[in-house]
Amino acid sequence: MRALAQQLVLGLLIGGLYGLAAAGLSLIFGVLKVLNVAHGELIVLGGYGAFWLFTLYGLDPFVALVLVVPASLLLGIGLYATLFGFVVRADEETRIKNSLLIGFGLALALQALAVRLWTADERSIPTPYGGAALSISDLSLPVIRLLSLGIAFGLILGVQLLLEHWRWGKAIRATAEDWQAALLAGIDVRRAYLLAFAIGTALAGATGVLVTIGYSVSPSIGLEWTLKALIVVVLAGLGSMIGTFVGGLLLGVAEAASAAAFGGPYREVVGLVLFVVVLIVRPRGLFGR
Amino acid sequence: MTRLGALWPLARRHDLGWAAAIMTAFAVLGLLPVFVQRNDVLNFVFLILLSISLAQSWNILAGYAGQVNLGHAAFFGVGALLARALWIAGLPIVLAMAAGALAATAFALLIGVAAFRLRGAYFAIGTLALAEILRITIGNVLPEISTLPAARIAGYRLSERYYLALALAAVSVGTVAALAASRTGLGMQAIREDEEAAEASGVSGLGLKLVALSLSTALAGLAGGLFAYYHISYYPSHPFGPHWTFDALLMTFIGGVGTLHGPVLGAILYVTLKEYVALRWVDFHLLIFGALFIGIVLLLPGGLVQAGTRARRLVSRRAAKP
Amino acid sequence: MLEVHDLHVSYGDIRALSGVTLAVGRGEIVALVGPNGAGKSTLLKCIAGLLRPRAGAIRWQDESLVGVAGHLIVERGLALVPEGRRLFAGMSVQENLELGAFAARARGAQSANLERVYALFPVLSERRRIAVRALSGGQQQMVAVGRALMSRPALLMLDEPSLGLAPRLVASILDALVEINRAGVAVLLVEQNVQAALTLAHRGYVLESGRILGAGPGPEILRDPHVRQAYLGPLAVAPDAS
Repeated sequence: MRALAQQLVLGLLIGGLYGLAAAGLSLIFGVLKVLNVAHGELIVLGGYGAFWLFTLYGLDPFVALVLVVPASLLLGIGLYATLFGFVVRADEETRIKNSLLIGFGLALALQALAVRLWTADERSIPTPYGGAALSISDLSLPVIRLLSLGIAFGLILGVQLLLEHWRWGKAIRATAEDWQAALLAGIDVRRAYLLAFAIGTALAGATGVLVTIGYSVSPSIGLEWTLKALIVVVLAGLGSMIGTFVGGLLLGVAEAASAAAFGGPYREVVGLVLFVVVLIVRPRGLFGR
Repeated sequence: MTRLGALWPLARRHDLGWAAAIMTAFAVLGLLPVFVQRNDVLNFVFLILLSISLAQSWNILAGYAGQVNLGHAAFFGVGALLARALWIAGLPIVLAMAAGALAATAFALLIGVAAFRLRGAYFAIGTLALAEILRITIGNVLPEISTLPAARIAGYRLSERYYLALALAAVSVGTVAALAASRTGLGMQAIREDEEAAEASGVSGLGLKLVALSLSTALAGLAGGLFAYYHISYYPSHPFGPHWTFDALLMTFIGGVGTLHGPVLGAILYVTLKEYVALRWVDFHLLIFGALFIGIVLLLPGGLVQAGTRARRLVSRRAAKP
Repeated sequence: MLEVHDLHVSYGDIRALSGVTLAVGRGEIVALVGPNGAGKSTLLKCIAGLLRPRAGAIRWQDESLVGVAGHLIVERGLALVPEGRRLFAGMSVQENLELGAFAARARGAQSANLERVYALFPVLSERRRIAVRALSGGQQQMVAVGRALMSRPALLMLDEPSLGLAPRLVASILDALVEINRAGVAVLLVEQNVQAALTLAHRGYVLESGRILGAGPGPEILRDPHVRQAYLGPLAVAPDAS
């Protein structure tokens, strides 16, 4: 029983990161109607950013967030300006097809770049406090993962507040709902797209840092994380950052439960099965509007 | 229905020309092993032929029925799995491939009805998820590498694989040509253009999509069987990998979705480019390939084929783009 | 102020507008009437920057609007209340209105304009924080008009504001338009309710199948036999009788 509870808690802890990864993808998909299948690769880049800062300058990875997140924001702006800004010129259906293609090309290029720069080996960040764990009743909670969960939630809450109270946050929401009406209201829809894409990418970068801290990073985990994010987006539906976070937690717990029930190798499968079931039964997702 | 009828002569004329040209090229390629003994050339052409078959199979569902299937590798994999097992057990390869194709189609129809309840992007990511489920499961159930028994390796003839690939490529091109000119094919294209309008005209959306799915996955399954016949050893989960889907997708898009010649041209260009880049820039080839690819998509969203029509047609300016 | 000259708009191969010419002067109310599918919405969308014309000119105070992005057209002082209102359903009345003031020209006077809109539509004032999806059709139309007003337009364009509304509400919307016009805003009104539109307007145009069939002062068009026959039917009230 204790082992199961332990597994579930660990599932919850990684679920928070699933939620963070999904939040970025959800924002981009919800606003631009563009599916960036290179999202996972952007997460990987964020992770390597933290790794580099630690290995080259000894910078604590949590502190590295302060550098990686703005850098990811800039990367997002750059990617929008050079690539995705062109994709949004087409109608919705063509956008999705084109973004899938471009995303795939981008993923290929970024993954190859990662292998070039850091080799295909798995990398992690061995901090002095990395092994510390909090003991609550019989459960052992790794401190770094707990902290990551907190940070993930904080970031998501922050973005939610931004969307609700910031002038441009409201503009982003309006654009997501009806870009033509937004245009008629005087909103520069292209800028709203740019901001949404940049914020989404920044969230991906943050996810990468937290993933590397608590686990590890390698060039090949990109697609895996894109899929996880997609699964959560579909599970939770579009429209709520907090809802997406909760969806991530649910996925994490579901994976842990299935691993306990069916064995480790099938951990990934439950998420995908859930994904397909929700897609068919309730495409709007659990919390979607 | 008269609207569909009006499209008929146009489709026939255009495609027949291409079909004839392609089949002639295939006939010429049939003589290749006679004159060229080099294995690397034959392997290269084999790869192109396999790619043509795979791309055409994807093209049927995407180009003609308008459904973007990102789980295409699943059917490629199922075909490979069954064909390999049956062939090693002693069944003649053609029968084994046919069995593989049948299994792939059966599986497709099983999930097809449910899957087609999804539209657009959801169908795309749903099928991707399904393929991944299969890949992971196969990877868990059959983690060991599959190697041909010594006797098979001794009896391995590249030319046999080559001719089989040629035959399959011809079959796939022929299938698409026949489909494009048929009533069924026109119905599919009507679905692709505007499903609601087509249904209102009495065309059954689901029925035609399932037909397209069956043809598409059957061909993919055959291609998988060919793959199993060709490779001496590989991991059973390898043909289920998403890059097979993306390769087929890219080739079709580069050459032009929904055309007979698109996947053929796309496959030739794609494979040649990939091999060339891989040879020339060994270290960077994926990076460069990815970049090149993005460039192609950006510049020509419809593929190379569209480049021709774009130049000719007057672009009437439509809705303001954001 | 607004001059549309020989405008041609197509959807793919289908011609929506074939050489439309019209004008709206300072302080005018101009009505655009015509049957379904005549191209009235297309014309407004084109002026507002949602569609690109194939040929022709659109000039606003001597500057061309063709090719200018939608939000910049709002910056120049034209606002469109689109067909079907197209509000941001999940947001409150206040939020919808505030978004209308997104343009730079409107931001400074946002609170003042907000109060002006609430004064114009008192029923909205009581419902500031309510999500617009909970409002009635008439109230939603008021929000839509209000949202457009928040951008401080010099020309207000409306696409079928009376669609789906009860007659009493239609009257109140149209009354509001008169008041808006009195405050100095020019109005370009597309309406299927021909009687109401032409009674209200200083001038009118009749658009049929993408072409302007006729133009003139409102009452004059109302008296035109073709218009009466096509759009008004036997129960129409002649303008002199009202």
